[in-house]
Amino acid sequence: MKLRELVRYELRAVFTNHALLLTVFGGVLFYSFLYPLPYAKQLPREQTVVVVDLDGSGLSRHLIRMVDATPQVDIISQAYSLAQAKEEMIQNKLAGILVIPNHFYRDLLQGKSPTLSYAGDASYFLVYGTVLEGMVMAGKTLAAEVTVTRLLMSGQAMELAKQQYNAIGIGLHALFNEAGAYVNYVIPAVFVLILHQTLIMGTGILGGTDNEQLKSGTKLYWQNRSASTLLLVRTAIFFTIYVVLSLYYFGPAFQFYDIPRLATIGNLLLLMIPFLLSTIFLGISLGTVFPRREIATLIVLLSSMPIVFGSGFVWPESAIPLPILNVLQLIPAIPAIKAFVLLNQNGAELSQIIPLVTHLSLLALFYGLAAYMLLRWKVRQKI
Amino acid sequence: MSSTTSPTKQFSEWQHLIGDPWLLSLVSWLPPLCFLIIYLIFSQGLARDLSIGIVDLDQSRLSRAMTRYYDASPTLAVKESYPSLQEGIAALRGGAIYGLILFPKDMEKDMIRGRVPEVEAFYNNQFLLIGKLVKSSVLGVHTTFVAQIDTVKNLSTKSPVVGQAMAAAVPISSQMKPLFNQNNNYAQFLASAIIPALWQIFIVMTTVLCIAAELRREGLASWLGLRPVRALFSKLVPYTLLFWLHGISYLLTMFIYLGWPMHGNLGYLIFCQLLTVCACQSVGALLFFLSKDPARSLGIAAAYAAPGLAFMGVTFPATDMTLPARMWRNLLPVSHYIDVQIAQVNYGAPLSLSQPQLQNLALFILPALITLLLAYKTVHTPRRVT
Repeated sequence: MKLRELVRYELRAVFTNHALLLTVFGGVLFYSFLYPLPYAKQLPREQTVVVVDLDGSGLSRHLIRMVDATPQVDIISQAYSLAQAKEEMIQNKLAGILVIPNHFYRDLLQGKSPTLSYAGDASYFLVYGTVLEGMVMAGKTLAAEVTVTRLLMSGQAMELAKQQYNAIGIGLHALFNEAGAYVNYVIPAVFVLILHQTLIMGTGILGGTDNEQLKSGTKLYWQNRSASTLLLVRTAIFFTIYVVLSLYYFGPAFQFYDIPRLATIGNLLLLMIPFLLSTIFLGISLGTVFPRREIATLIVLLSSMPIVFGSGFVWPESAIPLPILNVLQLIPAIPAIKAFVLLNQNGAELSQIIPLVTHLSLLALFYGLAAYMLLRWKVRQKI
Repeated sequence: MSSTTSPTKQFSEWQHLIGDPWLLSLVSWLPPLCFLIIYLIFSQGLARDLSIGIVDLDQSRLSRAMTRYYDASPTLAVKESYPSLQEGIAALRGGAIYGLILFPKDMEKDMIRGRVPEVEAFYNNQFLLIGKLVKSSVLGVHTTFVAQIDTVKNLSTKSPVVGQAMAAAVPISSQMKPLFNQNNNYAQFLASAIIPALWQIFIVMTTVLCIAAELRREGLASWLGLRPVRALFSKLVPYTLLFWLHGISYLLTMFIYLGWPMHGNLGYLIFCQLLTVCACQSVGALLFFLSKDPARSLGIAAAYAAPGLAFMGVTFPATDMTLPARMWRNLLPVSHYIDVQIAQVNYGAPLSLSQPQLQNLALFILPALITLLLAYKTVHTPRRVT
């Protein structure tokens, strides 16, 4: 009887707390549309480039056409000098400059290996990479054409000549996100973070609201109850809400954005259990010490960017200073982002992410204990 | 602006600030700490020794030489050797390595017979940035290695002159020149954009919180009193100065103390920072007055400011964003600011080029005006009721 009463009170506390509902349901829903928005086009395409053709030969014009034909690059103008090209690039916010040197055609014929210069705006990694990819591809194709022609001229058969322009070839294969699509890159990781952050905010807002009321002298329904029952009920409510919200993210939302889902539902749920539990326990623990409900939102928000860039999917873990990396391991989102991406995007076996699951389980245990102790202290606190 | 602030009101704002430890942290040590953490995460600047795996089905002198060559690359480190492709790919899936190189069977024999064997390289493109780094390093290592072999081969068979043999191996050499970010230090560039994004979060959140503190203290109506404009200004101006100070200090730290390359006008940037702080405050105040509830308005402010970085156009170019994304981008003061910062820091562009951004920042006077309107309404509505 008493348990049912507590459940009813807890449900009421959660579902009448507007700030909490706005953060949890509103936040999760809103972000599922807002976050992928800037990346809707997936790949930067047709980056604008200015060309400086110092050669002016038929071959150099052929190269310009080849570069222009790549999907990455769009040649929009020609400049007469590098200085002019640079100025034009800044004025018109262009992405790169292609310089074809003087005597390009002649040097090539004489076997002197002329140098093509590609210059891109390296401030923007993605733009730089895209422009270079397009330019290098066209340059390589031309180089291959030239070599094959030369081999043909020296009497090789076409097939052999085609093969022989390099002693050892290389085949490059992009795995897991073959096209390098940006939504598929960012969203699987960021969605895990959003679940984590809104969950801590939600539990934190509930705890903060309780503290505000305690301070103003209101008697709360859970005072003098057992801390373990309160923890259990609160955890069960948030767990249920977040299983549903997670399934929305990993299911329809991923499908909507065409993000691959390689994990089985069973494995996904298995990973979700320690992830959600550790996060809920951390949120409840923090909630007991937040004096006001808005503090939860604040702390969580400020932690977002260190978590994103510390979780290893943007910047390699090996490049992050060890003390920072170690502290970050205390945040459930850090192993969770890695585990979900490996399982769902890379198609890792469950056995391969066991260390991460263990990591999350240990965090759940640790924060579970902390939440219990803190709640016990709260429950017994005199007004 | 300062003419409307009375010294006594300002003084009391400083006192409020000192009496509220959370608010005080937000304007004192928390921003530098967060900026420092971001800086430290990227402090290595360049990614080094990314672990890759090898599947050597050839087990020849050539394959071992190539393995050593890969390992010698500063970006790559051969971490593990796998007996089969399946096992290597599994390790790649499990995240143990970022890339995998497969040397085919009879590679050396085929090469000597002139049959052109093919090395297969696989890389984890799910981690896009890391994947691109691995790919370009693998390609770079392979090309130099093969050019050496080809040159030697050409020397022995075709032309005895090294230069010509070299030219035959590499008919067109290419030179890649990163402009404006000479050492291609992406981390530096990223950190210099993440920090302003965090700065925007701090300003918007603090604006909401400091007005919320007033709501808790004596209620909005009595705080705004008869002169809401004056009350609001004397409330916000101290924070303008504090956050401007934070902005200036991160700029000076990055471009003077750490000596990151800076080609433009620092003074102009500092001036733009003042506009950015005011713009952020104006949005923050509006967000508060729209709901007049601390937790709810902070939640909305969080939703507004948190994804700022994604829209700034640093990670993904703004020109490739769709119209709705660009519209949202325009609503964030920091995205206009970052355009100016990049134009100054990286390009050293003429100041006139950033005029549109300045105009956009000036447009954030609109939310401030709406806030004032709402503030007037707050003062006058309850009076009519009672």
